[in-house]
Amino acid sequence: MTQKNVSSSANNNEKESLKPINPILRYFYAIISMFRTNIRDYGMFIALIVIFILFTISSNGIFLTPRNFSNLLDQTAYVAVLAIGMTLVIVTRQIDLSVGFLSAFLGAYVIVAVQVYGENLFLAISVALLITTFVGIIKGYLIANVKVPSFVVTLAGMFIFKGFLMIRTDNTTITTTHPFFQAIGKGYLFRGFTIGGYNIVALGIGVLLIFLLVFTSIMRRRKNQQLGVQNEERQIYLTKQILTIFVLAVLAYNLAAYNGISYLFLITLVVLVIYFIFTTKSTLGRRIYAVGGNPEAAELSGIKVSNTLIIVFISMGILSLIAGLMYATKVQNTSPQHGVSWELYAIAATFIGGASAGGGVGKVVNSVIGAIVIMSIPNGLALTPDSNANIEPIILGSILLLAVIFDIYTRNVRPVDLVGMYYAKKVHGEELKKAKADLSAAKAALHKAKANGEKLIDYEYALTNAQTSISKIKNMIRIAQEEEFMDHKIDNDPYIPDEL
Amino acid sequence: MSENKKILVMRSITKTFPGVKALDNVNIHVDEGEIHFIVGENGAGKSTLMKVLSGIYSHGNYSGDIVFNDEIQHFNSIKNSVNKGIVIINQELALFPDLSVYENVFVGHEITKNSAFVNWVETKNQAKKYLDMVGLKVDMDQNVRTLGVGKQQLIEIAKALSQDVKLLILDEPTAALNENDSENLLNLLVELKKKKDITSIMISHKLKEVEAIADSVTIIRDGKVIIRMDRSEINQNEIIKHMVGREIDNIFPKRPKYKGGEVVLESVHLSSFDSSLNRYVLNDINITLKKGEVVGLAGLMGAGRTELAHSIFGNVKKYKLTGALMINGKQVHLNHPHDAISKGLSYVSEDRKKDGLILIDDIGQNICVSSLKKISNRGFINFFKQAFFADKYVKDLSIKTPSIYQKLNNLSGGNQQKVQISKWLFAEPKILILDEPTRGIDVGAKYEIYTIINDLIDKGMSIIIISSELPEILGMCDRIYVIAEGKQAGEFDIDEATPEKIMHSATTA
Repeated sequence: MTQKNVSSSANNNEKESLKPINPILRYFYAIISMFRTNIRDYGMFIALIVIFILFTISSNGIFLTPRNFSNLLDQTAYVAVLAIGMTLVIVTRQIDLSVGFLSAFLGAYVIVAVQVYGENLFLAISVALLITTFVGIIKGYLIANVKVPSFVVTLAGMFIFKGFLMIRTDNTTITTTHPFFQAIGKGYLFRGFTIGGYNIVALGIGVLLIFLLVFTSIMRRRKNQQLGVQNEERQIYLTKQILTIFVLAVLAYNLAAYNGISYLFLITLVVLVIYFIFTTKSTLGRRIYAVGGNPEAAELSGIKVSNTLIIVFISMGILSLIAGLMYATKVQNTSPQHGVSWELYAIAATFIGGASAGGGVGKVVNSVIGAIVIMSIPNGLALTPDSNANIEPIILGSILLLAVIFDIYTRNVRPVDLVGMYYAKKVHGEELKKAKADLSAAKAALHKAKANGEKLIDYEYALTNAQTSISKIKNMIRIAQEEEFMDHKIDNDPYIPDEL
Repeated sequence: MSENKKILVMRSITKTFPGVKALDNVNIHVDEGEIHFIVGENGAGKSTLMKVLSGIYSHGNYSGDIVFNDEIQHFNSIKNSVNKGIVIINQELALFPDLSVYENVFVGHEITKNSAFVNWVETKNQAKKYLDMVGLKVDMDQNVRTLGVGKQQLIEIAKALSQDVKLLILDEPTAALNENDSENLLNLLVELKKKKDITSIMISHKLKEVEAIADSVTIIRDGKVIIRMDRSEINQNEIIKHMVGREIDNIFPKRPKYKGGEVVLESVHLSSFDSSLNRYVLNDINITLKKGEVVGLAGLMGAGRTELAHSIFGNVKKYKLTGALMINGKQVHLNHPHDAISKGLSYVSEDRKKDGLILIDDIGQNICVSSLKKISNRGFINFFKQAFFADKYVKDLSIKTPSIYQKLNNLSGGNQQKVQISKWLFAEPKILILDEPTRGIDVGAKYEIYTIINDLIDKGMSIIIISSELPEILGMCDRIYVIAEGKQAGEFDIDEATPEKIMHSATTA
């Protein structure tokens, strides 16, 4: 213990004599460090940006027009909603292959009830809700209590619901004419409210969201400060806020410039916000992630694992109903052809969004981004002149594979601190240079000895010694850097204090 | 003299992981035909060193030289080192549970006909030969799954012998063995040394073993070699001193003698039937725990101590229970850990990685997971409260971590264990069951955990300790029950308990 104190105080003396880092360089180092440390969270954003840029170029700019942007979000809506539910399923180490046909069947159930049998819309939706809850309980019970693998249970479900879909639609396509269906599938929130061609509601909601986000994040920083919990560096915090505001502003502008906020987008947004709060703030959400992270530990911690799984499958079922209705109203019909591969798109979106098949990891927001990535492909290809639409699945598969490979490679990323590294290198840089020179000398000597046919063992030893001293210095740099991490800063570092 | 020939020299071995302490210029040597022990605290670098030696970390991933049989070796995989006669047996055995005993002996280096088809007749004959060598008498057609850990270990050694081993490396081979099996294993190593001239390197925490069979010892601390001792210099206290870098004159902190109190927990004719094994894992257990008392459950591995904890703590394994469980004199029915927690019970599990902690989550999340109600309001978590309590326990139990947001993956074993204990202290139990609380953690952290136990007793908690280490049971408990083959085999007050009496009850039930 005492030994450590001595060494760290010696380090402090060295630090004081250091020249402080250039503030602008420091800023970039800090941003890059933050980015590299949290690379897993930003992976799918990079994918999204790259795809957007590529399609914008290939479509001569049509891809990012307000009209197409708005359409893309509407096309994504049903996959996004399914992906939100699927995130929880994957987080708890399960899978649900039945949601494609379940969604399509539930959509068909409601639409046939209303359009063919003339039943009350509210009643039809309520019955569908009961059905899907019941199905969720059965699936969850079989998986959690009877211990049938979810792959098998939901594969069986996939066939069963396909049958129900064919029976319910009687193998015909039924068009939706009910005003409610028309509104959901094609309508916009207060479409007429425009000024100079821009929808006021979309702009208003955008501004409101921006204020809400800024306000809550400032409150959180205040509270952290009061409690003495460490906050993010102010520069990084501001950068993140500015980027978020920018993205929201672009989104709001694009929607406003077209027809405003479509009901499909609104529903997606509401579901996303509810699930975001549910997964990050509620105790039930915490339990779901605990069950995914380690089911045995969760059970021993007093969490009822089987009940938790049943809840996850009920939630998946309710979202399937919503997604089924969204799709059917968007294409304005229900048909036995619906539902094919929807579950696979949802699963792919979840993995592209960074969920881990090992369980316990996955964010609903990222899964929605994953859904947008997936749905951009057919949309972008359709706008690209002379492109072959058949390559869509190939691109999708490749992105999915890349996403999972990326996930595996970044699994053990450790915190990066380039600022600390900068100082550490200042302290030990000279030694490292010298040691590197020694190493190349030793290498040359060994090479020469080999050519001359001398006895090698002494040269090999010399080489090892040189390597050892390099790794020693590198280790010292690492330790110095980590101390920066913990102490956070050196005395005269141009660090802007953690205040507002 | 052949005895002094150095079969292995590892010179200037340095291995760094990003952000993790590793090996720093380690020099060790092993003479031919000796049993060499490598000891050190957890995280000292022993296992890393053995991974370098056996080629798990291939040449180029470390710096330094491995000289085996006077040649510099560049192992790129474990296959290379096995070809040279270096075989490592890891703590987690690498057997195939659903293959038979003889298949396991030759898996990976099958005896073949025309180098395409397995020669099963010869495989069986050869397997028999090697199994006889290690003194294992079992039905060779049996699946390995059905055998105990002690026998599985012998199969691993038979497998090593079949690969023409010259240097056998065993990483904590006796950690999961009972006293009998451990002794067998140690005797076998001595026998192999004498009859076959097989050199072995053993990593062990059990200093008694070192005293018993070591020809020499290397002590490693913080990735550096501290000292090498020869047979004549080996002495437990000296070793401990070098391991921890300070003298530990008393491993168990003192606590005033227990004065008595009312019974808080009692099992009355408790029996547990495991329907998957189709047998009783517990048979007629009658134990009591009084307020402010530390009761020890001693016994061999698999005797039923953990099963007893599981039966009490909400019947996690869904046994068929008969008999009664009383808390504060009232009968209770606990059907889930949830019920047990609400009755004031907590259970720190035996295997913290498997069923104790969520390793991908951070300290705060782990501490709060069993008491989410305490940090939430109407079903929504207050993260400031979570951070507050995480911070409190990190300070109270002096958990060493850069921040409360550190993932459990990145903590050492001792600190992980402290997080697990924090989790259960946060549930504010009246009765705490500790299952092997100090397994696999270093001497310094052990002492801290014992101090925590005494503090809790001071505050009026009642504690059950399940432990396979007799000194720990004798050093920490007020009263001791011995469990053997699912039955209650003895009860001792601390004043009358001796290691011999306890072992006698445990082995002759």
